[in-house]
Parts: sequence; C-alpha cells; structure tokens
Amino acid sequence: LSLLVAAAVVGLVFQLTLPSRLATDDDYHQVAQVLAREARTGDGVLLFPWWTERARLFLPDGLQVVGYLHSETDDLVEHPRVWVLSQPHLPRNDTSGFEKAFLPGRQALGPRRDFGNLSLTLYENGRYRPELVSVARASAKAHVYLEHPDGSRQDCPWDGAAHACPGGARVAGEWHELFYRPHFCLTLHPPGGPTRLVAELDNVPAAETLLVEGGIIWEHAPPLDTTALELGVDQGPGTAELAHLEVPPGVEGMQSRRVSPSPASKTLRIWTQSDRDKDRDACVELRALGPRAGGGA
Amino acid sequence: VKETSRAPEPLDKKVALALFVLTFLFLWATEKAIGFTRDESVYFAASDAIARWLRLVFQAPSQAFTDATLTQAFDFNHEHPLLMKTLFALSSMLFGDTLHLLRPAAAYRFPAFAVAALIPVLLYLFGAKLYGRTAGLFAALCFFLAPRHFFNAHLACFDVPIASFWLLTVYTFWRAQTDRLYWLWCGLSFGVAMATKHNALFIPFVLGPFALYRAALVSEGKPEARRWSLGFVGLYVAAALLFAVLVGSWGLDGFLQRFIFQSPQTLLILALFGSTAYVLWRLHAVDEASFRALAPIGAMGILGPSIFYLHWPYMWFHPVDRTAWYLNFHATHVHYAWFYLGTLLRKPPFPLEYVFVKTALTLPLSLVVAMAAGLFWNLARALLGGLKAFRAALPLPSWSETLVGANALASILIISHPEVPHFGGVKHWLPSMCFLALLAGERVAKGIQAFAGWRPKFGQAGRGFALPAFVFVVLLTPAALLTWHTRAYGTSSYGELAGGVPGAASLGMQRQFWSNNVTGVLPYINEHAPAGARLWLHEVNGLSFRDYQRNGMLRQDLRPAGGPGDADLAAYQYHQEFREQELNLWQAFGTQKPVYGLYIDETPQVMVYQRP
Repeated sequence: LSLLVAAAVVGLVFQLTLPSRLATDDDYHQVAQVLAREARTGDGVLLFPWWTERARLFLPDGLQVVGYLHSETDDLVEHPRVWVLSQPHLPRNDTSGFEKAFLPGRQALGPRRDFGNLSLTLYENGRYRPELVSVARASAKAHVYLEHPDGSRQDCPWDGAAHACPGGARVAGEWHELFYRPHFCLTLHPPGGPTRLVAELDNVPAAETLLVEGGIIWEHAPPLDTTALELGVDQGPGTAELAHLEVPPGVEGMQSRRVSPSPASKTLRIWTQSDRDKDRDACVELRALGPRAGGGA
Repeated sequence: VKETSRAPEPLDKKVALALFVLTFLFLWATEKAIGFTRDESVYFAASDAIARWLRLVFQAPSQAFTDATLTQAFDFNHEHPLLMKTLFALSSMLFGDTLHLLRPAAAYRFPAFAVAALIPVLLYLFGAKLYGRTAGLFAALCFFLAPRHFFNAHLACFDVPIASFWLLTVYTFWRAQTDRLYWLWCGLSFGVAMATKHNALFIPFVLGPFALYRAALVSEGKPEARRWSLGFVGLYVAAALLFAVLVGSWGLDGFLQRFIFQSPQTLLILALFGSTAYVLWRLHAVDEASFRALAPIGAMGILGPSIFYLHWPYMWFHPVDRTAWYLNFHATHVHYAWFYLGTLLRKPPFPLEYVFVKTALTLPLSLVVAMAAGLFWNLARALLGGLKAFRAALPLPSWSETLVGANALASILIISHPEVPHFGGVKHWLPSMCFLALLAGERVAKGIQAFAGWRPKFGQAGRGFALPAFVFVVLLTPAALLTWHTRAYGTSSYGELAGGVPGAASLGMQRQFWSNNVTGVLPYINEHAPAGARLWLHEVNGLSFRDYQRNGMLRQDLRPAGGPGDADLAAYQYHQEFREQELNLWQAFGTQKPVYGLYIDETPQVMVYQRP
C-alpha cells in the first residue's frame, strides 16, 4: 500500500506543479521584445527542446526559427549567431545531451537571460559559413533542362513559379522535409531512365567550399521497391565530376559532399538521375560557401 | 469443486446500478468537448446507411431483402460488423431525427455511453465477488480514470464496446460455472462480441483451456462424465481435422469456392452444432459440474457464428466469400506510421516491448503501479506457487484468479506480436485493461486490509469505510486530475511516468492521432476565417468536416479545401510522419508563422496558418 500511496503522491505533485513549469504568453512576449531589439539580420533561433514551436507565434518576423527532431546537431551554417531559446524546467529535458551536441564550435556571447520559464542565450556560431551562392535560392536564374544520353536537351522553361519540364516535373526552390528536417532546397525529381534532370548556374564565384546536398523528400525515402538516386555536380558536359552522391532506396535524410576548395567556374551543373522515378522525389542543394569569418558580436 | 452461486447480493446490484447511471450520465455530460475521430465519422455515415435500410424494411419490405439492396445498403464500411452501428442508427433515428432531443453526434453516441457504462458495472460485480467489495469498487472506479479509456468511451466506435463485451463474455463464463443458464448468456455475450469487433475471435482461445481444465477437474472420478467430456473435445478435434482435410484437398481457394449451402462444409458445420448440443445434453444428464464447465464453450461455438451471420445482412447471400474477405482484411491490415521513442515505426517487425511501454507511459502513475503490482503478484504466484519453497508466501492462484490474469495479458500479448499493426495507442488492448483494473483492485484491497490489521484504529474508523475511502481518494485523485486535464484530447494524453504530454514529446512519442484535436482551434477559425473561405483541416476527413458543420461546431459558409495549394486557411495537425505537409503550408502560404494553435502543456498539436 505504501508503494501505491507513494506513486499517487508523486503523481499528484507532478500534476499540481506542471503548470508552473510551462512558459506563459507573457514570457514569450518578453523574449520577443528582446529579439526585436537585439537580433541582427541572419541570426537564427534554435529551440530546446526541439518541439517547443509555440515560440513561432510570438517571435519577430524575419528570424529563422529552427526546431526539429535532433535539431541540436544542426550546424546552422547560414547563421553567424544563434539564439538558443530553451525551457529548462520541462519534464524529461536532456540538457546535457543538448549541450554536448550544440556547444562544440559555439561560444556564448553573454549570460543566459531568464523570462519566466524561458531562457535565452546568444551564441557565436563557429560553424557559420557565408553563403556566396545557393542553387535553391537562385533557382529562378538557373537554366534547367532534361539531358538525354545522346547529349540532346529539352528545356524546362521558367513559368514564374517553377521550371516546367516535359513530363510534368517542376523545378524550384521549395521547403521540404527530409528525415524530419525542414530544408529549403531545389526540387529535382529525375524523370526515370537514363535521362538526367539538370540545373545549371552561371557566374558562380570561387569559394572555399562547395557544399553538395541531396536526398529524397518525406515518405518517399523509406520504400525499398525503387532504384538509387544518382546526383552529380560538374562544370558542363564532358567535364570531370566535382562530386557524386548516391542515395540508395531506404536511405532517409540529406546526404552531403564537400568540395574544397571550389574551383572558380563560369558554370556549375547539378543533376539527378534514377532508373525508376517511383518515390525518387529528390531535393538538392548546391552552395558555394565562403571562408570561416568572424561573424560574431 | 463445490462452489456457491456467484450472483450479486442486493447491495451489489444497487452499487452496480449506481455505477451504470453515473458513468452513463458523466459520459453524456462531457461528450460535447470530444471531437470526431476519423473513424467515427465513417461510422456515423455507415449508421445513416443502416437507418435508410431500416426505413426501407417498413416502407418496401419486398425490396429491402434482395441481394442487390443488401449489398448497396451495407457495402459502406463492411470491414466491421453491424451491431454497434445499428444501435447508433436506431439512437440517431429516435433521439435525433424523431424526438430532436440530442445534437446529431450525441444521438449516435448514446448507445456507446450505455455499452461503456457496462464496464464499471461488470468490474464491480466480478471484483466484489472474487476479491471483495473494496477491490470491485476500486476496479470499477479506476478504469475510466485513465484518460485514454475515458476519451474512447465517448466515441461511436468499437474499441470500448468490444472491451465491454469481452469482459461480459468472461464474466458470464465465470458465472456459468456456478449459476444456471449462464452458459447460454455466455454464448449470447460472445455472439454480441462477434457482432461488435473482430477481437472477439480470440476469446474462445483464451477461455477454451480454462473450460477444459475445469472439466477435467470436476469429472475426475466420474467415468461417464469424463467420457462425454472427452467426446465434446473429440467433436471439435474431429471437425478441425475434417476441415483441414478439405482445405488440404482443394486448397484454400477451392475450399472457399465449393463452400455453398449444399456442400460438405455446411453439413460439417451443422453436424458439429447438432453434435455439440447432443453431447452437452447428455453431459447435463450425467454431471451438472462437467456440463457447466463445457456448456459455455459449446454455446459460444454455436451462438457466436450464428449471431455473427444473422445480425449482418451483408453476409446473408454471400456468407463465405464476405466472411473470408472480412477475416483477410484484418489479418493483413495496413500499417500506419507511428512515432515511438524517437523512431517512426512504418512496418514490422515492431518492438516487442511496445505495448507494455505505451501502457506504462499513458496511464496515471498510481494506476500503473497498482495494475503492475496486481499482474506481477498473479504471475509470481502462478510461476512460483507450485514450488515448495514459495508455497506459503505465494499460494497458487485459483482457477478464477488465473482466468482474470490470463485475460489481463491476452489482448496485450496478441498486439505485442511484432507483426501485428501497432498504431492506435492503447485502444486496441482495452479488453486487457479491464482485467488489469481488477488485479489493481485486488492489490489495493489487500493493501488496505493489511494496513488495517497493522493499525486497527484506522481500519475501524468510520465503520470501516474511512480507510478505504481515504486510500481511494489518494490513489484516484491524480488520475482524475490527469483525466480531466486531457479529457477532450485523449489521444495526446500521457501519464506522470512519461513526464506528461511535454515529457512524452521529448521522449519522441506519438503526439496525437485520429484528427479530433482539431476542436481546439475551431472556435478561432469560426471567429477569424473570412466569409466563404476555403479551409484545409489536414487529417480531418471530408465526413468529419461535414459533421463539424452539422453539429454547429464549424461555420456553414466555410468550404473544404483539398490541400495547402487551394486553401485560404489551414489547420495542420502535428504528426512526425506528416511534417512535410506543414512545410507545404510554409511554401504555399509564404510564411512559417502560425496565426493560432492548440498547444497542450506547451506541445504543438494543431497549428492554424492563414494565407497572407
């Protein structure tokens, strides 16, 4: 009986104290005011725990809010500074696990500030790299076409929202989920067979690193009854590949390759190909990244 | 094994009646907050189809019973039997369409409240007789103080009804050992269970061994009773062998194709029914105790399939192929994605421990501990009680106690099989939870008894009621608080062991399912949506959209949108497997900022986005 009563008391204490461990609207408003005042263009807000996305309702427009399963491991390469918005009093918080994944390469730029049950800490992001060009963001300027094995091409003209390809594929920079992580990436669904779907960018500046990423969107990644997605980056037909990725059936998430240093190139192409188009809904990104710079306070 | 009647005392009947009335009224009083689950709106629509057919029976009886009419009337949602849907239909016709006493949803749900209210009644009657009144009352009270049980009890679905009828079948089986005619009630209860949900198919496999063991026990030293008992078993073994020979000879497809009215299969079934009746009749004449042990199983064997067939007009002209389809549908059910401890389960094999972990994380802590204590106590006695060293401390459980323990584990073990679909939270093993409640009641009662023996002053206070009442309040208050807190959002509820809803989110558990949480944002949508706006309610299906409108919960001028692309306003329901669809909204609406949301203890459940 004593065990049962002890369990009940624990349960009762938990039920009665839980409301006092949660963030209030007022807590969020205070945080929003601080961020409106102090955040800079390019800053990001990382949520801990990852699922505390109620923050989106309150935080200022223009600030990228990041929260997804395992988002503490994200390099947040595009953000020179990261605000960590945490709720340390929530049950089952793994603060040490979060810090172990997040802290390497980052340095706090000030003390933690508490607003009720919310805590806000600003970090310099040592994993930041300035982005010189992104094929997803520059998709409207890209030249997109189907390239057949004999070298012939079929253009995918830009219709104001996307490049519309023969066969129905639409190529544009869009938000998509790959293994629960939101990515802004270029949809580049291969048509199936030996034909490649190519996105070509001109006037790509020389960069310290070329970051090539590609994967299969959402629930199209897990099925095994399809074929591998091939992804390549080159400087034009007949040139050597700068990077190559293979995404076999069943592999989830964005796969990546780094090419360092990236050659100065007038033209860079990224292409996808798959023997079958079933469930090969590809999303890719090709970014030219500058050298690690200050970027801090 | 001479036992007295297990009939309830007059006081127990009064308590049982009070429990029924209170449960029914409480469910009715709280139903309005409960949204329509995806399945429930399908069952509403199926009930409407049944109602149309029932009207046709009176308006044009010659037309109502043709093969074509029956197929048309009952084809929709023919993956589930008709009993509950027919009750929903009759209730809707009476309390909704005719008397206009209830809103449409409540009119459908009314019979579900009544069937759910049987659970506390049966738990009390069963528990009071087996373990004492304190145990029975605790079992009865604690069952619906579990948030997910309470939530499911409101729905015009089949998960709580099959738990009720499973419990009823076991209760009548247990009563049949000592009380006249209960063998017949057991057969009828099983038939009702068969007419409710396919889970019932497992009941004979759980009860059969108990009947055989008891028959063996009571027929000892009675050669004629033993002979007829063995004859009863032989009948079923022979029938099984003959069916196996037919399937082996023709193959399963040939067996099904040749299974017509005038066929060896029909003859075999009728012969089995007739022989069962004859053997039981002879057994009754020879030995009452042996008859009582086996008659419930015989009655289940005859009445179960008969009621299943007769209650379902869809089966009348095509009993074999449509029953085969029904069984195959459930044997090969699709696997829905399900988030569990940070991993999205999409296909088998599923984790063996899943059901135990999910149960422990979703129940209130005080009930987890009480149920686990009851189960382990029963298991320890069953496993160790036969050993001399433990016999004094852990006496072997009685036949009745083992019956309760076996039923507490049956549904849990069936769902635990790694190949069985694992979606749907705890609702698929609710039959086990009834018996776990009984085991919890037994432990609590024993604990109170032991404390009263240790501190007699406390045990005698208030004519002996004070201590149990105090313990009940202490144990059930946190459960009641949790149940009340998440009453409208039962599929999101987690207990203290998980750290509540936020703890479960950090653990990576399924945050919700079945779409009903959308009720949390409907008031905002009603207030803020532009006139005639196109609204995408994500997981909410078209039937539920219609039901929200016809129950006055969603503005009539709002039109359903097919997805983010054609929506002005959208309510996205957070599921780990649907995250892409929220990003589709970001893309289509050009914003990552919801305008409103339902957040339970900070956890995002439903986010409303509006096209700028």
